[in-house]
Amino acid sequence: MKTYYKNIALLLTIILTSCTDVIDVEVQVAAPRLVIEASIDWEKGTLGNEQTIKLSTSTPYFDSDEISIVTGASVKVTNDNDGTEFVFLDQNNGNYTVSNFIPEINQSYTLEVIYEGETYNAHENMMSVVDIDAIYQTTEKGFDNEVLEINADFNDPIEEENYYLFKLKRQNDLLPILLDISDEFTNGNLTTVFYEREKDEDINQEEFVVGDIVDVEFYGISEQYYNYIGLLIVQYESLGDPFSTTPVPLKGNCTNTTSPENYAFGYFRLSQVVKDSYTFE
Amino acid sequence: MKKLVMLCMLFTSIISAQETNTVSGIIKDINNGETVFGASVYLKGTTIGVMSNEYGFYSITAPKGTYSLVISYLGYSDMIQEIELKENQKIDFEITEASMQLDEIVISSGETEMVNIRKPQMSVSKVNVATIKKMPVVLGEVDIIKSIQMLPGVTNNGEASSGFNVRGGAVDQNLVLLDEAIIYNTSHLLGFFSVFNADAIKDVKLYKGGIPARFGGRVSSVLDVRQKDGNNKNFKLTGGIGLISSRLAVEGPVFKDKGSFLLAGRSSYAHLFMKLAEENDNSAQFYDLNLKTNYNINENNKLFLSGYFGRDSFDMAGGFESSYGNLSGNLRWNHIFNDKLFSNVSLIYSKYDYDLSIDAFEFDWVSSITNYNVKYDLKYYASDAFKLDFGANAIYYEFDPGAINPTTESSPINSLQLDLKKAFESGLYINAEHKLTDKLTAQYGLRYSNFSRLGGQSLVDYADNKPVVFNETLGIYEAGTAIGETEFENDEKIITFNNLEPRVSLSYQLNESSSFKAGYSKTAQYVHLLSNTQSVTPLDVWTPSGKFIKPQLSDQYALGYFRNFKDRLYSFEVEAYYKTVDNRIDYIDGSNLIGNNTIETEILNGESRGYGLEFLLRKNEGKFTGWLAYTYSKSEQRTLGGSAGGPGINDGAWYKSNHDRTHDISLTGSYAFNDKWTFGSNLVFQTGRPVTYPTGEYQYEDVRIASYSERNSDRLPTYHRLDISATYTPNRRPEKQWKGEWVFGINNVYNRKNAASISFGQNRETGANEATRTSIFGIVPSVSYNFKF
Repeated sequence: MKTYYKNIALLLTIILTSCTDVIDVEVQVAAPRLVIEASIDWEKGTLGNEQTIKLSTSTPYFDSDEISIVTGASVKVTNDNDGTEFVFLDQNNGNYTVSNFIPEINQSYTLEVIYEGETYNAHENMMSVVDIDAIYQTTEKGFDNEVLEINADFNDPIEEENYYLFKLKRQNDLLPILLDISDEFTNGNLTTVFYEREKDEDINQEEFVVGDIVDVEFYGISEQYYNYIGLLIVQYESLGDPFSTTPVPLKGNCTNTTSPENYAFGYFRLSQVVKDSYTFE
Repeated sequence: MKKLVMLCMLFTSIISAQETNTVSGIIKDINNGETVFGASVYLKGTTIGVMSNEYGFYSITAPKGTYSLVISYLGYSDMIQEIELKENQKIDFEITEASMQLDEIVISSGETEMVNIRKPQMSVSKVNVATIKKMPVVLGEVDIIKSIQMLPGVTNNGEASSGFNVRGGAVDQNLVLLDEAIIYNTSHLLGFFSVFNADAIKDVKLYKGGIPARFGGRVSSVLDVRQKDGNNKNFKLTGGIGLISSRLAVEGPVFKDKGSFLLAGRSSYAHLFMKLAEENDNSAQFYDLNLKTNYNINENNKLFLSGYFGRDSFDMAGGFESSYGNLSGNLRWNHIFNDKLFSNVSLIYSKYDYDLSIDAFEFDWVSSITNYNVKYDLKYYASDAFKLDFGANAIYYEFDPGAINPTTESSPINSLQLDLKKAFESGLYINAEHKLTDKLTAQYGLRYSNFSRLGGQSLVDYADNKPVVFNETLGIYEAGTAIGETEFENDEKIITFNNLEPRVSLSYQLNESSSFKAGYSKTAQYVHLLSNTQSVTPLDVWTPSGKFIKPQLSDQYALGYFRNFKDRLYSFEVEAYYKTVDNRIDYIDGSNLIGNNTIETEILNGESRGYGLEFLLRKNEGKFTGWLAYTYSKSEQRTLGGSAGGPGINDGAWYKSNHDRTHDISLTGSYAFNDKWTFGSNLVFQTGRPVTYPTGEYQYEDVRIASYSERNSDRLPTYHRLDISATYTPNRRPEKQWKGEWVFGINNVYNRKNAASISFGQNRETGANEATRTSIFGIVPSVSYNFKF
């Protein structure tokens, strides 16, 4: 419902945004925090042995274009069942990699990061995902019946609560679109996700045209991660309207066991993922 | 009820020592026969006096003798009649509007808008519709809600936000009554216009505190709006043509002059706003209808029927339709038992519903709140020194928090009806206005309120009875564990609350022209609007108190100094208040309220507090009239973890509420230049509303995420704006029936881009972070033509 609600708010906002402009605003600066982007993604049909965890620190909101990378940390993931440890190696560019990871569906894992004498911990389960049944283009779906959109169909399993993350990106775009989905209102049904682009001169965005290629990534995620990424997406897409919710601190699952108030941004997630791409005809 | 009547008899027996007589009657406007509410009726040279009530009724009791009875009312000539009080008598008065044809325009004034220094009632503002109509307004639409925001202590969340905030309170803490029916959404088109059609409204009274015991159910304020009864002398047509909407009202006598009616309609032009842009099939529209009729059975019995129906609809071609509105009706019976006892019974219905249909997602959504209300109010004019109000009311509520249904065969949406909720609210009250000495008058009363959440639904049971728990590991609040369900039968009560709400105020008259007042009031609120957005939206759903949501309880203390100058040409008032609200709902981080059957897993019960100092200087008479208001205030809230554990929302620290405004200055004035031209102006200057800005950023999933810390620790830029208007009344011969006027206005004269919001995000083209300001109204000129026939 969150997704729908966001769109309602967006539509209401269209009426209001008669006048928007980009302005200079002074913002407060909080002390930097460690950011752990520990996304263990296992693409269906691959071994999933190659994995990367990214570490950085947060920066002032406006000041910097560079990511402040973190090196010299120690990073490992442990299989909670058999205790197998996967030690990630510091690549000195903020990336920590491993090439012998063994993903198991529904298995719980523990992440441990030690950085500047403080230990960060997180637990999660590896989530599975169903297949995408079809990817196709239409014009009559979506908000505007004259504009091309890409659709992805999948069959939601009826016997359990499921949570999904779609990451859609038109090739040559700078940024992807993230979409969080729960089956709360669609349990057990054939579900379609569409991606339509509006013309927006401010950011030089055009509607989809023939030849555009869209990369589609479809992740199975846990309920806890759904809650996290849902809030992240709402705040990321802060619609610029008075109907948005008050922004709040976003807490992931990476806790600091040395000094708890220094929790880390980011999240330790383990997801099975289906990747595909579609070319508009 | 019997007990109350007995109690009041008891009071009278104590008081009626001296031999007295009573004069009573109804005060009306000579032109249209409308009863006059709030006219002051007094015996010249004494301190004996009274205000006419909502139905124009007055009753004065005084020792035998000869007096000059004076009736005075703003905008009307004073009326004086010699009376010899040797027996009880009935005199009805018809008062005349002050003449506007003289070069020297003298607007005489009653005590209605001016300071009434003797009455203990404080924190109340009455605004005359005639005054409101002179104020400049956006797009030429006279707007009652925007007008009251010019008063001290009243603000709102910006140009496109519904409702209003009183003394730092939330929008849902205002009881808004249109002819006694509860109005749940006061705005058309998301806050651009109010639901009140000024042509159908007689007067507007706002209680910011010291709420009289006869009102209950909201903790912040009461906005009491009364519709006109309709002209009972002549058929009249009034109307107006504006840029946004047009209005037409017809009124006249019916039932062989034993009654009158008023029918008023208003509609915006379809395809408003959107059509301004080309290639746009979207539209937004509103309309409303007001109806009122009354029938005089005899001089002691009168019936009134009134109704309101208003609707907004949005249609976004491409798959989004939404409509919402209020519907209300009220049948009233005024009965005058005798010259000292006035009564009124009301049967009231009101409903608010919200419908939404989204083609793109193939579903629709419907929600509503309905209530049936019975009220019985009596006023006993025991003596000059003692008056008693008492009565009872009962409200039955039905809440439909939402039904979701698929709209197509292929829709992935499963049908879902959220649990219907039912509740019963009742109240009993008694309130005395008691002149203790010549200088000291007290108003004291008690309201007993009772609220039962009725069965006919099931509730989720949670482990340890905790719908929300604090996750110690992650440091976040999340839903508790459901362990089962309890089914409540239709005849069962889920939970019952009782509250005693004392209301006391005192007025001490220092001299002829100044007084001190002090007051305390306790109020309880049993229904709440669920809204975790920065401004309330039409989608927000009302919910009753119950097992998990406690009633809001407020204590308010106020102190004031009131003074009239220069023979009441000017009046000045200053009030200080402090108030607290317990059990104010707050929302956990990431709360999800829409389509949620278990709202209790998203909220915690918090508290709020506020204080303020309000100044109001008015000029009541002359070519120039108007007021200057200044408010200094603070409003903040805190929500501790309580039984859910953990530190609470925002780490349990106090934070500024969304409607906190440190400084708020409003200047509004009207200048009658000659008999053709009148000019009006508004100037508003206020601290920007609290908002939350990012305090950092980081890269995650290929996008740059803003990080936030404390809630509402920043503010939008200062809000200020100047509006002007000019009203031109063409020369007309007095014998001509048709009276027309042109109203020209400019909203936001110096085109200030006031931020309605500032959002932070990543530019999708450059990837850079930026702050985007949304401003609603720049400079907006308007013209409208109003007529009377």
